[in-house]
Formats: sequence, structure tokens, C-alpha cells
Amino acid sequence: MPFDTFDLGLARATIARALARGGDFAEVFVEDRDGLALRLEDRRLEQVVGGRERGAGVRLLHDERTYYAYTDALDEASLCAAADAVAAALRDPGASAPVDDLGPVRRDAGLHPVVLPPDQVEVARKAALVHAADDEARAVGHEVAQVIAGYADARQEVLIVNSLGEVVRDTRTRTRLSVQVVARRDAVIQTGHETLGASRGFEVMDEAAVLAAAREAAHKALAMLDARPAPMGAMPVVLANGFGGTLFHEACGHGLEADAVAKGASIYAGMMGELVAAPIVSAFDDGGVPNGWGSQAFDDEGVPTQKTRLIEDGRLAGYLYDRLRARQLGAAPSGNGRRQSFRHVPIPRMTTTYIAPGAATAEEVIAATPKGFYAKSLAGGQVEPASGAFVFGVAEGYLIESGRVTAPLRGATLVGNGIQVLKDIDMIANDYEEKSGVCGKDGQGVPVGTGQATLRVSAMTVGGTG
Amino acid sequence: MFDVVDRVLELAAARGARDVEAYAERGVSRRIKVYQGEVEQLVAARRCGVGVRVFRDGAVGYASTSDLGPEGLDDVVARAVAHAAAADADPFRTLPAPSGPPAAVEPYDPRLAAATDERRIDLALSVEAAALAADPRVKTVEDTVYVDGDGEVYLANSAGVRGSYRAGQCYAYAYVLAEDEGRVETGVSYAVGRALEELDGPACGAEAAARACRLLGARPCPSMKAAVVLDPFVAAAFLGVLSSALTAEAAQKGRSLFAGLEGQAVADPRLTLADDGAHPDGLDSAPFDGEGTPCRRTPLVSAGVLQGFLHDTYTARKAGAESTGNGQRGGYQSPPAVRPTNLLVEGEPVPFGTIVAGVDRGVLVTDAVGVHSGANPISGEFSVGISGVLIEHGRLTTPVREVTLAGDIIGMLKSVRALGDDARWVPAGSVLTPSVLIEGMAIGGT
Repeated sequence: MPFDTFDLGLARATIARALARGGDFAEVFVEDRDGLALRLEDRRLEQVVGGRERGAGVRLLHDERTYYAYTDALDEASLCAAADAVAAALRDPGASAPVDDLGPVRRDAGLHPVVLPPDQVEVARKAALVHAADDEARAVGHEVAQVIAGYADARQEVLIVNSLGEVVRDTRTRTRLSVQVVARRDAVIQTGHETLGASRGFEVMDEAAVLAAAREAAHKALAMLDARPAPMGAMPVVLANGFGGTLFHEACGHGLEADAVAKGASIYAGMMGELVAAPIVSAFDDGGVPNGWGSQAFDDEGVPTQKTRLIEDGRLAGYLYDRLRARQLGAAPSGNGRRQSFRHVPIPRMTTTYIAPGAATAEEVIAATPKGFYAKSLAGGQVEPASGAFVFGVAEGYLIESGRVTAPLRGATLVGNGIQVLKDIDMIANDYEEKSGVCGKDGQGVPVGTGQATLRVSAMTVGGTG
Repeated sequence: MFDVVDRVLELAAARGARDVEAYAERGVSRRIKVYQGEVEQLVAARRCGVGVRVFRDGAVGYASTSDLGPEGLDDVVARAVAHAAAADADPFRTLPAPSGPPAAVEPYDPRLAAATDERRIDLALSVEAAALAADPRVKTVEDTVYVDGDGEVYLANSAGVRGSYRAGQCYAYAYVLAEDEGRVETGVSYAVGRALEELDGPACGAEAAARACRLLGARPCPSMKAAVVLDPFVAAAFLGVLSSALTAEAAQKGRSLFAGLEGQAVADPRLTLADDGAHPDGLDSAPFDGEGTPCRRTPLVSAGVLQGFLHDTYTARKAGAESTGNGQRGGYQSPPAVRPTNLLVEGEPVPFGTIVAGVDRGVLVTDAVGVHSGANPISGEFSVGISGVLIEHGRLTTPVREVTLAGDIIGMLKSVRALGDDARWVPAGSVLTPSVLIEGMAIGGT
């Protein structure tokens, strides 16, 4: 196929053409993506959808400006047209950066090994897997009314060449299962959700793990059938491990992305070294977690991913940079320049972001809470980085009474402000777990991991109806 | 591009697939971001691709590709056939048959193609300048964006469906940060149209600034049961969640809170809700849907009573009904699915000032966060974070934030007490809605 043999000479010529009227950096991002998605509902595998997309994006940077053009075709004429489009758009023509000779091709050093490439597994085996998840979830209880099971795999090959002479080839393979269970008792309907995903091949879909995820989704939905409306007001909140990691992602992570910082549109701008969290909090972003759902060897600008310390003992220690913002802010790129596809401009994004675990057990954290709210599973959230205000939906919540988890509670939302919540973390347990998700920003969805151990926030606003 | 879809049908026939549909699109788009009076980002895009749907004994396979060369087309057809072989059969899944002439709607304004980058940049700059000039407390305009898209769709299937159209739209958007006494508040606004000439850039910028400044000094308010006025942006966000429950797909699969309620009151009689894929001004209007069914107006809730659901070919066959032309495509990469087109909230308009004057205690809600994650379209329960302005004794008083609004969708619809006279298009999906007054909502604060 043309991609494997994509002419590096053409890549270099495209870069030179983009720089024809000026500019200080140019890059071509070539992508070949092949994916398959299965969706089961109502006991039927009703969607088997696959696609192959190939295309390229040409980027020209000049000072703080970005010019970008993309095309769905990889022939010479299309690449020239894209290069000409960015060159023509340049607002203030002038001196061009030199185009360096291309260096050696750098590749993934095998940090995220794939044992069973998904495209070598028959569709029928994947179909059997979602049916098995469906059967398992339904067997959990007769009140399971509906199961929606999805499976998706994708292989993304990228070639990144830039005017610094850097050449990077990277192949990313991701495989993911999601199970949503709807439980019904008379007029009461509740849902439960669970996922299993990694930067690996079909070997992720170990049968025992798939069935456990299906059961877990069903248990969540059934537990919530007995739920009563959640209370309203401020109270101690214990966030369970795993899905609880969404808290840090939303409440803090987005505010540490350097595009928001560069525009002064983050509450964390100008706070390097200051206390932004309780002293027991240390946090990281790590694009190199082996086989992590949010991991890749290089970011989408060809910068190797790394482990970045974000918060050290409560003090702000780092931001997440792409090339452009690193240049603007006089920092080094941190391997966080990511894009959804060749149709998107890279921007600073998280990879796998987490609060480091503590020493207590989850049981001790709950036992130390006389009265509060236990958020076992979060449904997703949103934040305004400028003010730090965030909100999460709680998928599975319980009351904590006398240090014990008691009645299930439904319809709860957690509302708060990033720095305040991080400062109010007063216990962190040792049961660290990661979950896979897709984070949306500026219309781009990228795979991210969120990690967390069980932790307690001394006071947070719970919005319920009770 | 008819040559591409015709070639796909031929290749599929050669592989023994009798019931086949091909959907091709191509288009260009521009996205321009400005910041502090300069272009920050300019994106020029060309895209094209084809999606192939193969039906075999009730099982459906789908594949897509951006490679329209001979190899690419052969590969995409082979995959679609293989995917159909892996899917489970459902007797109601059949190839759409021709179903009448396309709707008489022209979703394209030729002025769109005549726009130059200079004019696009000037428009975006006018948005930012107006926002910065609107109030000294405006700190920055974090995002000022102008986007347009101009595309053609070509659809054909082996049962004789065949058609094409061109559609275009553009919008401008501003995200403003205002600051006072160290506290930052944000505000957004949009301008939408089919040609740049229809967009009022300065008005968009000034409105986003006003929305941010109005929230300065906001604090949580006490918890209460009180009236809320959802402004059109917020009302549109709620309708987005609601609309997924108004598809026949959700109803048939037991994941709609409206399932089984046809003919029953689900809202206050003052509320009427319709979907109209052929609305002359609707941004989601088209002559036909992603399956070739003509777009049209479908009543959903009339005078508070649920009239029915939105259908594509599959859900209609299953229900013994007709497709309402809601088999929508998100692009060539995905098969059609039942989704609303343009949603219209209709009813007797009441002047906005009269609505506020009639509220003794409540909140004008100008922003809601977490509607997507905090509202459950299956159970109908929702709990979202809101900000806005307190209403006391018929007057807008102090701004509020970090409070929650919770309830259930049908309870909320039944508590609608008035619709404003300020209806506008909101590009969250495509919704035409005024402000909506709702009584007795649970507001969670201090």
C-alpha cells in the first residue's frame, strides 16, 4: 500500500512548498487508519461497521499563528495543494525557516507490544465476544431489561515529518469493549456502564475480564434500582478508585493544558510552585504507561511521550505542552501535542492522568467518614478551565452513615471548583486503578486514561433531588 | 460523484450483493480562529469519501473509505459484504425503497462559495473587537472562531433511490472571559447562517461579553424550590437530551422515558414541539435524509400531548409506520441512525420582561454544565450545574453559580408555564427555541 512506501522525498518537498512564502516551522502528518466497530442491542449484533481512512495534514507555524490544510488523498497533487493552501494563507510573508535534511526514522521502541493484531482476528470471534458479554449481563438478574455491548478496534499508522528534519513513524493499536446495562423495575429505570480498553491487540479481550466487566455493569444498574433521591448540599464525598479519576482529569487536568495557560484562561496560570492541592496530593500525566489506553510512544507531533509531574506534595509542578505552546511559554514540549486525526490541529492534551495512591485502605477511608456521599462511579463531567468550575454526573452513588456504605442514591451531581476540591482532599487510599475514556476538547476526541485510588474530599456540593 | 456511487453498486452486484446503498460526499471547509486582533489559526480542508451499506437477509454490514480509487472501492465493497455476513439478522432491516420526491428546500446559498479568507478573517475580527469593546471587565476572548462548510451528497441504492444535493452553513462563535475582583466568569454566543452575509459579528461578540459580565460576582444561592427561566441556549441543551428519547429507536428498545406514552399528556398544554427537516431556515435541513427519504415536518408534542416518534426506514417498518425522514448521517464514515433534524419549540409567545416580572423567586439560567453527563435520557432524571441571575419579586438581581438544578424531564415539561418571545436558532444540534419558564424546580445551593 502507498502508506508503507510513502515517499519521504515527497514529504520533504511538501514541507518546502508550505514554507515557500515564509514561516518558521512546517510539518506533514500522514495517517492511515483502519478500524472496526460492533454494536449489539436487543440481543442482536446490529451494527458491524468498518472504515479505512487515509489522509494528510500540512501545518505551517509562523510566530504564534497556525496554518493548516488537510486532504483525504495522499497523491502528490493533493499534498501540493494542501501545502499551497497554507503558504497562500500566510498573513505576513517573510523569511522562511530552512528545511533540514531528514534524519533517521524513529519508531516506537516496542513499549506497547501487540500480541494479537485485531485485523488478524475474524469478525466472528469479536461478534461472539459481545454476545458473551450480553449473555453474562442478562444472567445477573431478571430485572436487566436491555444490554448494549460495543466492541471497537483500530490501528492507526502515522508518519510525521517536519522542517527540523525529524521523521517519526508510529503505529497505535487500540482495543476496547463497553457494556451498558439498563435495569427496570416497574416505572423505575436505571443504567450501569463498564469499559475495558488498552493500547493492545485482541489479547485485551480475555474472556474472564470481559465477563467481569459485563457483570459489573449489570450490578451497577440493579443496585441503582433501589436508590432513593440523593440529598442536596455540601458534605464529605468519598470518590471510589477507577472512574473517580475523572475528578482530577476535569477539575485540574484541563487547566494544566498549556493552551489555556498561555491565554491566561486557566486558574492554574502563573501558579507554578504554589499550593494548589492538599500536601498529600501528588499527580502525574504519563503517556508511557505500558499498553495504557491513553498511551502512545510519540505524540502527534512526533515528540516522545513522557511522565510529567503535575503536582508535587500539593504544589503545582508542571503543565502539559505541545510544540506551539512550549515555544510560546519558553518550555520544552512534553509529548502532549495530540490530535484526533489528520483532520485536526494538534493541541495540548492529557494522556493517562492520575493522583498518586496513598497508604490507607479504601475501607479505612470510608470507616473514617461518619456521614457523607460515596461516589462509586462517575458518569462524566465538564469543566470551565478559566474559573475552575466543574460538574460531574454520578452513575453510582451511596450514602455513608457511621463509617459504612449504606443506601444507594440516584440522580446526584457533584459541583465544585478545581483548586478548592484538590485542597479539600484529606485521605487517599492505596487501591489505585485506571479506566479508559474518550476526552472531548475543541471538537476533537482522543483516548485518555484516568487513574485514582479511593480518596476523600472533606466537603463538596452534591446536587440531588432529595 | 454519481460515478462513484454507481461503481460501488456495480462492484457489489458483482460480489452477489443485491441490496446495496452507496453514500458519497465531498466538500470543503474553513475554520479561522483569531486572537488579540490577529489570525491564530486557519484551517483549510478538503474531504471526500464513500460509505457502503449491504443488506443480506435482514443483516446489515457497513464500510467506508476515503480512498475513491479502484482499489479503495473494491476493498470497501468487500468489507461491507463481509460485515453483513457477521451481523445478526432482523427481518425489519431492509433496503429503503424510493418514497416520493425530495422536499422543496434549498440548503445552500451561492454566496457561501464566494467568500474570501479576507472577509472571513474580517468577520471573526469584528466578533472579537466587539466583545473587547463591550465592557471594560472583559479580560480576553479566549476563542473567536468562524467556520464554514460547503458540501455535496450523492446517494443511490439498488432499489432505485437516487439523489444529490449541496448544503452549506457557516457560524461564528465567541467565548469571552470577564474578570472582576479576581473572579473570572465566561460567556458564549453564536451567529449562524447559510452565508457569511447573514452573520452579525459585532452582535455576537457583544452578546458573549454581556453574558460573561452579567455573571461577575456570582455566588451560590440558598437551596430552594423555585421557578427557573431557561434562556434559549440552556433550553436548547435540555432539548438535545430530550430529543434522543423522542426517537422510535429509543422507544422500541425500551430506553426512552416516552415509550408507551403516545396520545398522553407529557408536557404542559402551552408546549408544542416538532422536528422539521425541511424548514427553510434550518441548518440541518436537506431535501432527503441519509437513506433518501424526503425530509418533512413531524409533530412530536402538540399542546402537551405526545404525538409520536421520529423514524428511519427500520424503525418505521418495525412499527408499521412511515419513515419521517430522520435517518440521519454523521458523515460517510457511519451508517444512518434515527436522529432529530431541526427541533422547533412552539407556543404562544409571552414578552420576556413579562415572564420575569411574574416570577416572585427564581433563577434566570444562562449556563448549564454537565447537561450531557448529568441528564439521563432513559430514566429522565437530571441534575446539572447552573449559573445565571437570581429573580426576586419580578426583578433580575444578583448573579449565582455553583448551584445545581435537578428533577425529571417529564415533571419539568409539565411545569412549563410560559414561552418567551425571544426564539432563536441555537446550533446545539439545530434548535429553534425561546426562553422557557418552569415552575417548582429543585435548586441546590448552600
